[in-house]
Amino acid sequence: MPVAASAIYLLNLRGDVLINRLYRDDVGGNMVDAFRMHIMQTKELGTCPVRQIGGCSFFYMRISNVYIVIVVSSNANVACAFKFVVEAVALFKSYFGGAFDEDAIRNNFVLIYELLDEIMDFGYPQNLSPEILKLYITQEGVRSPFSSKPSDKPVPNATLQVTGAVGWRREGLVYKKNEVFLDIVESVNLLMSSKGSVLRCDVTGKILMKCFLSGMPDLKLGLNDKIGLEKESQLKSRPAKSGKTIELDDVTFHQCVNLTRFNSEKTVSFVPPDGEFELMKYRITEGVNLPFRVLPTIKELGRTRMEVNVKVKSVFGAKMFALGVVIKIPVPKQTAKTSFQVTSGRAKYQASIDCLVWKIRKFPGQTEPTLSAEVELISTMAEKKSWTRPPIQMEFQVPMFTASGLRVRFLKVWEKSGYNTVEWVRYITKAGSYEIRC
Amino acid sequence: MAPPAQSQRSPSPSQPSGKSELSDLKLQLRKFAGSRAPGVDDSKRELFKKVISYMTIGIDVSSLFGEMVMCSATSDIVLKKMCYLYVGNYAKVNPDLALLTINFLQRDCHDQDPMIRGLALRSLCSLRVANLVEYLVGPLGSGLKDSNSYVRMVAVIGVLKLYHISASTCIDADFPSMLKHLMLNDSDTQVVANCLSALQEIWSAEASRSEEAPREREALISKPVIYYLLNRIKEFSEWAQCLVLELITKYVPSDSSEIFDIMNLLEDRLQHANGAVVLATVKVFLQLTLSMTDVHQQVYERIKAPLLTLVSSGSPEQSYAVLSHLHLLVMRAPYVFSSDYKHFYCQYNEPSYVKRLKLEMLTAVANESNTYEIVTELCEYAANVDIPIARESIRAVGKIALQQYDVNAIVDRLLQFLEMDKDYVTADALVLVKDLLRKYPQWSHDCIAVVGNISSKNVQEPKAKAALIWMLGEYSQDMQDAPYILESLIENWDEEHSAEVRLHLLTAVMKCFFKRPPETQSALGAALAAGVADFHQDVHDRALFYHRILRYNVSVAERVVNPPKQAVSVFADTQSSEIKDRIFEEFNSLSVLYQKPSYMFIDKEHRGPPEFADELGNLSIGEAEDNVVPSQRVEENDKDLLLTTAEKEETRGSTGHSQQASFGIDDLLGLGMPAVPDAPPSPPQLKLNAKAALDPSTFQQKWRQLPVALSQELSLSPQAIAALTAPQALLRHMQSHSIHCIASGGQSPNFKFFFFAQKYKESSNYLVECIINTSSAKAQVKIKADDQSTSQAFSTLFESALSKFGIP
Repeated sequence: MPVAASAIYLLNLRGDVLINRLYRDDVGGNMVDAFRMHIMQTKELGTCPVRQIGGCSFFYMRISNVYIVIVVSSNANVACAFKFVVEAVALFKSYFGGAFDEDAIRNNFVLIYELLDEIMDFGYPQNLSPEILKLYITQEGVRSPFSSKPSDKPVPNATLQVTGAVGWRREGLVYKKNEVFLDIVESVNLLMSSKGSVLRCDVTGKILMKCFLSGMPDLKLGLNDKIGLEKESQLKSRPAKSGKTIELDDVTFHQCVNLTRFNSEKTVSFVPPDGEFELMKYRITEGVNLPFRVLPTIKELGRTRMEVNVKVKSVFGAKMFALGVVIKIPVPKQTAKTSFQVTSGRAKYQASIDCLVWKIRKFPGQTEPTLSAEVELISTMAEKKSWTRPPIQMEFQVPMFTASGLRVRFLKVWEKSGYNTVEWVRYITKAGSYEIRC
Repeated sequence: MAPPAQSQRSPSPSQPSGKSELSDLKLQLRKFAGSRAPGVDDSKRELFKKVISYMTIGIDVSSLFGEMVMCSATSDIVLKKMCYLYVGNYAKVNPDLALLTINFLQRDCHDQDPMIRGLALRSLCSLRVANLVEYLVGPLGSGLKDSNSYVRMVAVIGVLKLYHISASTCIDADFPSMLKHLMLNDSDTQVVANCLSALQEIWSAEASRSEEAPREREALISKPVIYYLLNRIKEFSEWAQCLVLELITKYVPSDSSEIFDIMNLLEDRLQHANGAVVLATVKVFLQLTLSMTDVHQQVYERIKAPLLTLVSSGSPEQSYAVLSHLHLLVMRAPYVFSSDYKHFYCQYNEPSYVKRLKLEMLTAVANESNTYEIVTELCEYAANVDIPIARESIRAVGKIALQQYDVNAIVDRLLQFLEMDKDYVTADALVLVKDLLRKYPQWSHDCIAVVGNISSKNVQEPKAKAALIWMLGEYSQDMQDAPYILESLIENWDEEHSAEVRLHLLTAVMKCFFKRPPETQSALGAALAAGVADFHQDVHDRALFYHRILRYNVSVAERVVNPPKQAVSVFADTQSSEIKDRIFEEFNSLSVLYQKPSYMFIDKEHRGPPEFADELGNLSIGEAEDNVVPSQRVEENDKDLLLTTAEKEETRGSTGHSQQASFGIDDLLGLGMPAVPDAPPSPPQLKLNAKAALDPSTFQQKWRQLPVALSQELSLSPQAIAALTAPQALLRHMQSHSIHCIASGGQSPNFKFFFFAQKYKESSNYLVECIINTSSAKAQVKIKADDQSTSQAFSTLFESALSKFGIP
């Protein structure tokens, strides 16, 4: 039995119940007290997202200032339950327009109850697709569109879609201007040793799409990935074009992608949902271009003084630039005074996170600004030993750059009416967890 | 923060202060009850919202039931939904008033709007009042035949709800067979999926009551049903796909080509964006190929990339769930993941539950080629700010050292830890060095030099202190100061709170005495005196024992206390392989996260008393009798729970003294110990009852509960293989030996049988699972028995019966 959740609770950080939906009788009504008493008020809270209390298992997740708790009494499928929570939150967000927090829940609690009724019945997940649910649960809570005039034409249509097979797209969409926006968003994860060698490095990327297309279009996407290119040259019996090809370690697709065709022809073809969605996700570990190199030297001079020198090198093209670069250099807790010299951007000491924070708003390629700082410490006997240099962390965004080198080769749109479409493609690379030990 | 136990009764200022607000609401609701004036719906909506919000925070608003029902006559769908929600919550405590709602719900069940029909039907079934079930049957029956799939979808789950209210009503109305028909014929896949959920639940609950239930349950995993679902799998929603995939894991394909067909069909599911679908597919692949070793290995290679992706994408909670599964796989096939060890490096900001699993993973995948890198990385964590993680990583280094290979470099690292001058690092490193020395005594020289420099004053934790003292005693001839350090520790005897340390101190000083008598004599005297005067029973007893044995004969004492030791080659594994297999069978469920099979935390008898029974007395699952158990007993039982499962199994298996001693207590606690009184020595010849009878549900129940008594592989003669063209042949043969078959299946070359036998004139049963592979001519036999002591005798009997098969 996959989930069969017995109850779902939404709590705020103090433990007050915001939403309380019991699906089954096999758990008592006061499970929420058990959660508060044995998880929220103990040190257990951060230690594990799954806990068993008196025969019931609690799965909980914190999202902004809300805890979402699922209670089960059977041997449930955990991955499914967590995924359900994530999807449900995404659904709520699409209804509230962005934020999911305590206030949003308080303001919309009737709506949430309505949704909880539809997305889960007797503990079994039902339809969670926002596209379809929005057809009959409207934000204002007015009477559903096909019920006002029962003789109206859309009745059979709309209800078929409520549970129908092509669950992700409505028929009969019309746009004046047919547009597709494609965003390739990559986040680079790096772990570098203090000696400058790469311990671990990978890229997780996703392709986000926004479609404003009429009718039932068929889309086909071509990337410069190795397998796809090889297959294509094989099919067309001509040698593959030279140029960089990318080896994707693993790919997952939105449910709209025809996976059979991907496996046989290695092309990504699909009928897209209307609006915004995540088309695919991929992971790459080989041949990653790191956008930044960080070269730190941190010297402890005696007991009360430290010298910090950090050089950051941008290794992408000189015409490109990175935005919102933040470098966090940790310093000991007992830091008393700091003084800086930076060749670019601004730096300050932020006591709340025990870091020197160096911000550079616009960071051109092929440059290497430096920061040198002197840190004075309060001399204490006890604390001195325990400073264990945490890693330097970095945040950035580099537009028009992909750390993997992935490129869109083509995006084709077919629709029986044969309209023209405008395609927009953007690339951006962000820092995932970009850590440099020092 | 207000104490939560009272939070219901002492609401914060923003909440209603009690009766007056409720009666106010009541009046207002009454005012609107009959009114149909324009705008009245809006005011009603505000009032309903208020009621629902009170209900949410736990205030009892059931007294408004009548008024709410009166207000329910409305065409506003949101009002309707709020009213349904309210009614669903309180109908159970107000069964009489619930009757009032039946009327308007039944009317709504015939509304022309399918949405209203569905909603009304759902609410009708959610009333959960036993004496109203007669009103459910009609609407459910027509709901299942509704032209709209939304209504059908709701009706199917409604049948399941009805089953939980009144099983007999549901069965008598023949709903299960209607569901079965719908499952195989409905055009809407969500209806199909809900039918599947409902049927699975109904038939497994029914299994112990009716004879057809097990058959019906088997039918769900029969070839036609499975193929039907497989062919439609792409139409299902992602959640329903998980459901179907889980069902497929229970299916036994007849031959390998069928296995490959299924895997080919499902391979693209590994690329699904929903991690739950991917995990479910992984389970199918792993289970299907269990008997095909080579393919099974290829499956590991195939699922590696998708699983690693799942770890790095999604929330930490999701990573945690996936990592737990990965951990299970890594334990089964460490080499598969050994080149991917970098994926398990911890990130600085990850939650500690993820880090902890990653540390375990790094420990498991370490081999000759990557040990150096892994240990280097682990040493980085030893300086981590998060002290528990720092400790775990030191332990991980130690575990790797004990597993293998290039101990040389690791020992140096551990010794460096000792010099790091942090109390907790020193403490854990000491414990490890002790274990290491037990396995590799040849390193004593290097280690002792470093250990000797540690001041015992800096070691406070009992475990570490005990380890240090053990080393002082064991290597006292090499450590110059050993007698004097021990002496100073004995001087502070009274300040030593841990009995474990004091016990170790006694033994160490004895060992030291045998090696360096003149220097230790006075310390030994002091230790024995202090020990005999100790209030702790074990310390007292040990001191007295040492004292007496020394007086009897010193050389005998030496042979007892400090005999020559053999290096430990393998440290005991904490879990039996049987339990590990059980967990693997339950892949993709909580068992993997808890690292124990589901019967240990689902079945009441295995769970022991709920840990918090006294505080949560009104938990519905709490067992009443457990609350009576005196608190001291509960404590003892908690200790028992702390024992690893393997130790528990051992205790149960042995019929020795210890079990006798603990038996009384365990039984009092209702822990579900198998009642094994002193079994008389088993008679050499076991006689079986030729007319034994056992119904399938009892068999299943027993099979779940009993531990495996014997597990072995038997070879079959060529004649036997020749005779085994169909399962029936073996069945008849075994029956002639009074071993009966309860279920069988499969086609050449794989057959699976479940047999049972009963002891003559006793009701003691033997259960057997026998998997025969005709191509390898091997039979895998697992035997479970009510009476463990005779299982060997039965096994011999079974073996001889099997060996006669095929010989005319």
